Amino acid sequence: MPDAWVSVSLTSLALLAGLVLLAASVNMFGLSKRWDPSLKHCFVTGGSSGAGLALAKLLAQNGAHVSIVARDQAKLNKALEELEAARQNPQQVFRAYSFSVNTEAGSAAAIEAASEPFDGRCPDAFFLCAGASRPGFFVEQTEESLRTGMEQTYYAQAFTALAASKTMVQQGVKGKIVFCSSILGYFSMVGYSTYSPGKFAIRGLAETLQSEFMLYGIDVHVAFPGTIYSPGYSEENRVKPKVTLKIEETDEGATPEVVAKIILDGVRSGKFHITVDFIGNVFRSSTAGSTERNSYALDWVHGLIGYIALPIWRNSVDSTVLKHREEHEAYLRERGLRS
Amino acid sequence: METKLITAAVALLLGALFTLLLSYTMLFSKKWDPKGKHCLVTGGSSGAGRALAVELAKAGAHVSIVARNPERLQKALEEVEKARKTPEQVFRCYSFAVNTESGSVAAIEAASEPFGGRCPDAFFLCAGASRPGFFIEQSEASLKQGMEQTYYAQAFTALAATKAMVKQGIKGKVVFCSSILGYFSMVGYSTYSPGKFALRGLAETLQSEFMLYGIEVHLAMPGTMYTKGYEEENVGKPKITLKLEETDEGATPEHVAGVILKGVRNGKFHITVDFIGNVFRASSAGASERNSYALDWIHGLIGYIALPIWRKSVDTAVVGHRAEHQEYLRERGFLSV
Repeated sequence: MPDAWVSVSLTSLALLAGLVLLAASVNMFGLSKRWDPSLKHCFVTGGSSGAGLALAKLLAQNGAHVSIVARDQAKLNKALEELEAARQNPQQVFRAYSFSVNTEAGSAAAIEAASEPFDGRCPDAFFLCAGASRPGFFVEQTEESLRTGMEQTYYAQAFTALAASKTMVQQGVKGKIVFCSSILGYFSMVGYSTYSPGKFAIRGLAETLQSEFMLYGIDVHVAFPGTIYSPGYSEENRVKPKVTLKIEETDEGATPEVVAKIILDGVRSGKFHITVDFIGNVFRSSTAGSTERNSYALDWVHGLIGYIALPIWRNSVDSTVLKHREEHEAYLRERGLRS
Repeated sequence: METKLITAAVALLLGALFTLLLSYTMLFSKKWDPKGKHCLVTGGSSGAGRALAVELAKAGAHVSIVARNPERLQKALEEVEKARKTPEQVFRCYSFAVNTESGSVAAIEAASEPFGGRCPDAFFLCAGASRPGFFIEQSEASLKQGMEQTYYAQAFTALAATKAMVKQGIKGKVVFCSSILGYFSMVGYSTYSPGKFALRGLAETLQSEFMLYGIEVHLAMPGTMYTKGYEEENVGKPKITLKLEETDEGATPEHVAGVILKGVRNGKFHITVDFIGNVFRASSAGASERNSYALDWIHGLIGYIALPIWRKSVDTAVVGHRAEHQEYLRERGFLSV
């Protein structure tokens, strides 16, 4: 009798393990339906620099029509040249448009302009990469700087998503919206009160729309990169508090090209949350809640690692902040922020 | 015989460690006492804010409630008065719009006057409202208004409060009121969830940053509350969203206020109000400071199994609503010919 039970148990375990591996591989080796950018019209905001530009070039390399949108005409012209250099076939349409997309009107105008070469048909996929970061201590912020922070993170993408959604629904286009949040949309720490709220807000919007767009067959993706070695990052570090820089000392960033590749791979394989490295995967799995998971099986592993490792990491972050108290007191006194 | 003893000993040891872990977080952590503390409550004339103001009064605190409508403020003050415990308690109400920094600063200054200019010890930021609706029916204005009514309604008061506390060297508290819709979202909440997530992002930043000052941050994440605000919210709420929430058990603002105050007393960072809230909290914690490492393991495990199942039913309901929604859009002239 015991032998039979052993056999049954072992077989069940083996079957279970097999199922888990299958589930994992379906997502790892892309056996699920893949999206192909070839000859799809891809609209990229923040497309003249950083990850946006890298994504635009990658999409061009993969045969897509690409419309890049940003504000600076000179940067746009340069970017367009780089797109041309990535051309795969003569049918591809590459355009650059100068618009401010942090209003609905600006976004709608940009989309209309981009739709013209396509007889008014709106783009198939919207990659919303517009954004900027100006870290600093909360106690030094103002209503204006907090509002600017929300403008540069959330509104920079929300209103384009709004205009894009209306157009896609009106025209019955079952397209895609790809938001660019940040790993600072999964967690936060000292220095990011102008940045994390907006990056969390993008996540909140993406979560709403991932559900709501099941009404239309429109897909939603949201990317959560960490440090990207871009011009934006250099700008960001000029104003970043010392204690934040110290905590980030050991961070390994990535080039915009690497990040773009991972984002495009994630969009191709239908991933909702797209993270860029191991740390990102751990955060993603540990904060998923009821969010659609890419791999139920792999997330178990990442989640377990996170459950043990994240509190340890967090403790070291807290220690660094506490040690900084004295220096910060002097900093506050110098600026008349203490009585 | 020996193996049995060893097994029993190990089991006992593990059990003891587990209990110790549990009790450490429950019994031995330092508790905060509202008695004699000055608590400022925004959104304090209705809903959970008013209920919190009453709870704080019952607990012996000085209470300043801030809102816009003077009549509602007066009525709320009367309720707070009924909860008076000692003649020393100072109860005041102030009419200010706190969704700007200057409004918040003015409110805090006014509230500090009876205390010789000393700013409050604890700020309960309960101001907020919800106007759900389909995303494609929104406008730039309505999305901005959503952010005003969720995020800015609390962020600027937090800003003013922080500057005052840091200036005066007060090791106080800031309590944000987010929502369970700051842990997850679904159809209909594009004007609400972003701001509630943003509050969580701000709270996460400040929980870390305020270690520089000894100021504590708390983040309440309630679900449905049976308030006037909830009735107003349901007026514009999409049918599909109402359908999905059919089986939700809400709570009274009094109950929610009780749980929030208890959480603040016990030093909990994220404060959830019911079992579902606990499951979401444990499943989304990431690197956030956990209230109980041990209990969260259980809640997280339950969430890992139950949340995807629940989510699947939500998705199915939305997909099932497609045809009706197309009709809805056609009626409103939304679709191209």
